[in-house]
Amino acid sequence: MSVPRTLEIPPDEWGRPRSPAQVPWLFLAIIAALLAGRFLLAPHLTAPALQTWATIFVAICVQALPFLVFGVALSAAIAAFVPPGFWTRALPKRPAVAVPVAGLAGAVLPGCECASVPVASGLIKRGVTPAAALAFLLSSPAINPVVLVATAVAFPNEPLMVLARFAASLVAAVGVGWLWLRFGKTEWIRNRAHHHGSFLEAMRHDLLHAGGFLIVGGLAAATLNVVVPREWLTAVAEVPWLSVLVLAALAVLLSICSEADAFVAASMSAFSPTAKLTFMVVGPMVDLKLIALQTGTFGKAFAVRFVPVTLVFAVVASVVVGWILL
Amino acid sequence: MSQNLVLMLLGGALLRISAFSTTYVNYVKPGFRPLLIAAGLVIFAIGLLGLVRRSAEHHHGPRVAWLLCLPVFAVFLIAPPALGSFAAARSEAPPPPQVLDAYAPLQAAGATEMKMSEFIGRVFSDSNQTLKDRTVKLTGFVTPSRKKGQWFVTRMQLACCAADAYALKVIVRGVPQPTPDSWVMVTGTWVPTEVDDNATGIVYAELDATAVERVEAPSEPYE
Repeated sequence: MSVPRTLEIPPDEWGRPRSPAQVPWLFLAIIAALLAGRFLLAPHLTAPALQTWATIFVAICVQALPFLVFGVALSAAIAAFVPPGFWTRALPKRPAVAVPVAGLAGAVLPGCECASVPVASGLIKRGVTPAAALAFLLSSPAINPVVLVATAVAFPNEPLMVLARFAASLVAAVGVGWLWLRFGKTEWIRNRAHHHGSFLEAMRHDLLHAGGFLIVGGLAAATLNVVVPREWLTAVAEVPWLSVLVLAALAVLLSICSEADAFVAASMSAFSPTAKLTFMVVGPMVDLKLIALQTGTFGKAFAVRFVPVTLVFAVVASVVVGWILL
Repeated sequence: MSQNLVLMLLGGALLRISAFSTTYVNYVKPGFRPLLIAAGLVIFAIGLLGLVRRSAEHHHGPRVAWLLCLPVFAVFLIAPPALGSFAAARSEAPPPPQVLDAYAPLQAAGATEMKMSEFIGRVFSDSNQTLKDRTVKLTGFVTPSRKKGQWFVTRMQLACCAADAYALKVIVRGVPQPTPDSWVMVTGTWVPTEVDDNATGIVYAELDATAVERVEAPSEPYE
């Protein structure tokens, strides 16, 4: 195959990394601009709505980043240091049994939902059945010890709430896992084409990728937090089925970290215990931040199927468990 | 690779608010500091190492990663302060704080300084009425009220980060309202309110104030 002479061939330096000498200058220029902006611009950006929005946006990012870094590091470590055959030996052979085992194993990862997405992705890459990894993804932010203790502290007079949260979250996670095992298709989960060589390179890529999507979720959550008036909520608290759905929707929109959502749920005194339970079961499984992270990590084809199914399972599981226990 | 610079900026911004200053308390609980410093160092180091040891093969970073610049810009250009009266005015459902019904009696003479959450806790869940005829001092910022002749002394309370903050508000009567968002210490006595179980709307604790003085904003803005 020959290149026609008339076609202009791009110069050699196209697509090459910029020469290293320019980079530090660019960097210094950005820092200088930021420092100057701190003194020139910041005193003028003082509209209360803007400041409140920025505080909440920065708070969501700042609070999630340590957990994201932890999750990304754990995922990279799984990919780099755990031998390929380990998971097939550690988990039960039959996938139908592996799903609940993986769901229960979620109890040992002390983190919130930002950590569990990269870890689940690392597990799938290492050959764990996707259904089992997804059960782990859903259960771990909801049933780990840190979250359960926070729930117990937030509901000092309702000890059954902790048990209800554990049960409903596990039931929903395992249910979604089994459904995925029966009907899920492998091609729905995007397999990243490029292979990450080193531990560092894998971590860097995941951090950039998941971090970017975390920002998308943070932007949406902060905006809704400032725009939606809370008074609307108390108006619907009296209608039982409506209150469950409204708190489920609120859990999705507010994207509160699973380690903190129990305190927020406890503060909504007008709502029934089942509605509060729904808030705490849905939040760690489906929220704007997570939807963005999952879309980024597993692809759009995955998210459009996984997110609605999870939402339905989470709501139904909370209503049933709440009806039995609370 | 310029996305390494994004990581370095992000790590730098995290360190800027946690290691080199205490602005992080505007966003998260004070206990978060070690986590933030560690995460900032790791992110910064990953960016730096990526810059130094650039591999021969050409990597295209994900485009969505450029959004990581946004929190950096927000931190430096807007420098978001702690949540103030704008957020407090929107937080219309003050929760009765979860407290045990075991409060120590207050001293009879002089005024007792106490946290807003303790005051509200004593008001709503204390059958011994330890606040009766006692003078207290509450510290918080000023939030205007829609009703005339009263305003709120306010403190935000966090469970984890500012996204889950809710307002602790106490109605102040008897003294003129200082400028909104200024920090004040109010001295006064509790006005017992008739709490009706069928009451609709929100019942706030009420303080009959005798003095209000300006104070410095506390180093930890949230309770």
